[in-house]
Amino acid sequence: MANNKIIIDSKLNSFFSLSEILKYKSLLGNLAKRDFLVRYKQAFAGIMWALVKPLINILVFGYIASKINSAADVTSNFVFVASAMLLWQLFANVFNDVSNSIIGNSNLFAKVYFPKIIIPLSSILVCLVDFMISLIILFILFIISGQAIHWQMIFAPFFIVLTLINGFGIGLYFATINVKFRDVKFIVPVILQLGMYITPVIFSSTFYMDKLSNFIPNWLLWIFYLNPMVGAIEGFKYSLFGGDAIYNFNYFILSTVISFLFLLIGVKYFYKFERNFVDYI
Amino acid sequence: MGNNTVIKVEGLGKKYILNKSGASKSDTLYGNFLNGLRNLKTITRKKETEEFWALKDVSFEINQGDRVGIIGRNGAGKSTLLKILSRITPPTKGRIEYGGRMASLLEVGTGFHGDLSGRENIYLNGSILGMSKHEIDRKFDEIVAFSEIEKFIDTPVKRYSSGMYVRLAFAVAAHLEPEILIVDEVLAVGDAAFQKKCMGKMEDVSQNYGRTILFVSHQMAAVQNLCNKGIYLKNGQLVEQGLIENVIPTYLKSGAQPDSQSFYHRTDRTGSGKVKFESFKLLNENYQEIDNAQSGSDFFIEITINATEEITNYVASIGIDDDFGTRITHLSNDTSNQLPSVLSKGTSKVLFKIKRLPLSSGIYTFTLFSSSNNEILDWLQDAGKIDVESGDFYHTGKIAPEGQGKIYLDYSVSIL
Repeated sequence: MANNKIIIDSKLNSFFSLSEILKYKSLLGNLAKRDFLVRYKQAFAGIMWALVKPLINILVFGYIASKINSAADVTSNFVFVASAMLLWQLFANVFNDVSNSIIGNSNLFAKVYFPKIIIPLSSILVCLVDFMISLIILFILFIISGQAIHWQMIFAPFFIVLTLINGFGIGLYFATINVKFRDVKFIVPVILQLGMYITPVIFSSTFYMDKLSNFIPNWLLWIFYLNPMVGAIEGFKYSLFGGDAIYNFNYFILSTVISFLFLLIGVKYFYKFERNFVDYI
Repeated sequence: MGNNTVIKVEGLGKKYILNKSGASKSDTLYGNFLNGLRNLKTITRKKETEEFWALKDVSFEINQGDRVGIIGRNGAGKSTLLKILSRITPPTKGRIEYGGRMASLLEVGTGFHGDLSGRENIYLNGSILGMSKHEIDRKFDEIVAFSEIEKFIDTPVKRYSSGMYVRLAFAVAAHLEPEILIVDEVLAVGDAAFQKKCMGKMEDVSQNYGRTILFVSHQMAAVQNLCNKGIYLKNGQLVEQGLIENVIPTYLKSGAQPDSQSFYHRTDRTGSGKVKFESFKLLNENYQEIDNAQSGSDFFIEITINATEEITNYVASIGIDDDFGTRITHLSNDTSNQLPSVLSKGTSKVLFKIKRLPLSSGIYTFTLFSSSNNEILDWLQDAGKIDVESGDFYHTGKIAPEGQGKIYLDYSVSIL
């Protein structure tokens, strides 16, 4: 009998295994490649479309923000909003795509065995490529508005990864529910729409905290930071622009910790039911 | 575990929970809305469920190099067994141990995307089946040559003919080189020459490389050709295992058991319902129930119907489709000019006599339709299945080659 013995036992649950994922890394790449290629096949403008959505979002919300925050400098305000918007968009895409990824690819794992976590992981890759393309817009805006380059920028990748973790963790949780209850498909866009307004995308955290302190006592303000995207966006803004983007360092840490907590919950929940997905699809 | 054992299955069981309350589906928007509300209200309450064991206490061992045919009727648990072995669904009970790389072909071309080229699909499908990029690179030319589509390798597969598509899909699978290969009836596709090539490839893999093969098929001829061992499943339980020469006869003998199909539970009907189809049976010439028809033999299709009132000009018809959903033929007492003057209230039987069945072996689905004076009484799409086993249609002691079409013609040949 060969050494690589495999045991299938009714009592053993599946678990996260990095070595198994690495064994299937070519699948990870190929699935992402498929999604990316298919999306822009037979589209005349092709990959240019990846720029359109973030561009429109930046223009609309940037304009609105510059009207509302009239006190601030218009161009830098615009870039400020644009950067937060792009990061939020990344989160929204990852969250949405991951939560729909499992049911969208059920035809695959209903016929062939592979670690199912590969599917949502490949969704992340696709979103990341889109994000990289939209970073071009941000780069151009940076040059136009004459922003200074400074050393804090080396932190930016960390907050991009933190955003991926947020989208992946929460998305994985919803992807699991989605297998049995297709209501998720309708709920996620609603969460994202509301979520944007309780995240410092258009306004700064300071703005939200000022408003919030009118309703709740000061010692309760940390509630705002239970939203894991608050930390990611504050951090991203800080690394790009420096200054006082981080409102309160302790709160910021809280939000970051929540991110990892959500990731843990998402992955655990996913693996609890992963084995049985086929029976519920 | 013996030295030679590659797969060991112990006490395997698989339970499915069937939802009973799923019957109240509605077609209208308003009805759906009400159902949605009702579902919300009952979300906390336990639904009425029924347990169903697709597999029960199945144990066996398979040795290195065995070619095992898994046989049994529809619903015997063959597919469930394959799915558990290939780790697609987990068992409810029991345990399996196996050594070596396993590849399962429950279908070919899993993950093929119409918009991608043949080349891109080879890489995608190969990686889904567990091949590394390096491995696919190495075998790429071989795969393309085997599939015979060199010229179209950079064309999107949606432009392929179905034959080309299947050839490419099987070619990828055939180059997997697993130690254990699990094959469902995927070979029932493609033209005869290609089928032969596939069977040849499987035999080659098992005999020359000592690989183990598990093969599920309804075509006893194919099983007998390829396999040396057999496992016979019935209602989720293992009835017999051993040499294929011993297992196939046991399976064929058990075919005498009745297999009537009832339609009481079917709610997806169209029509006024004044006459309803209740059940369907196949009978042999002696009016004994059989569970499959044989090519070239005479048999009866008996349909039980129930009328709520007297009906004039009652027309009953059966449409028979092949496994691709193509209509093969249509039988009706209208076409044959055999309308009853009046159909009485209550239960009646409609008997179709088929003479020398000219269909080749395979599974056919049928649709039942009844009408009277242009009113649809009852219409049941995909009402059930008819298993046709291969038989001596030409009374020559020879059977037409597998995969050579669906119908037999009554012909003779003279060479002048």
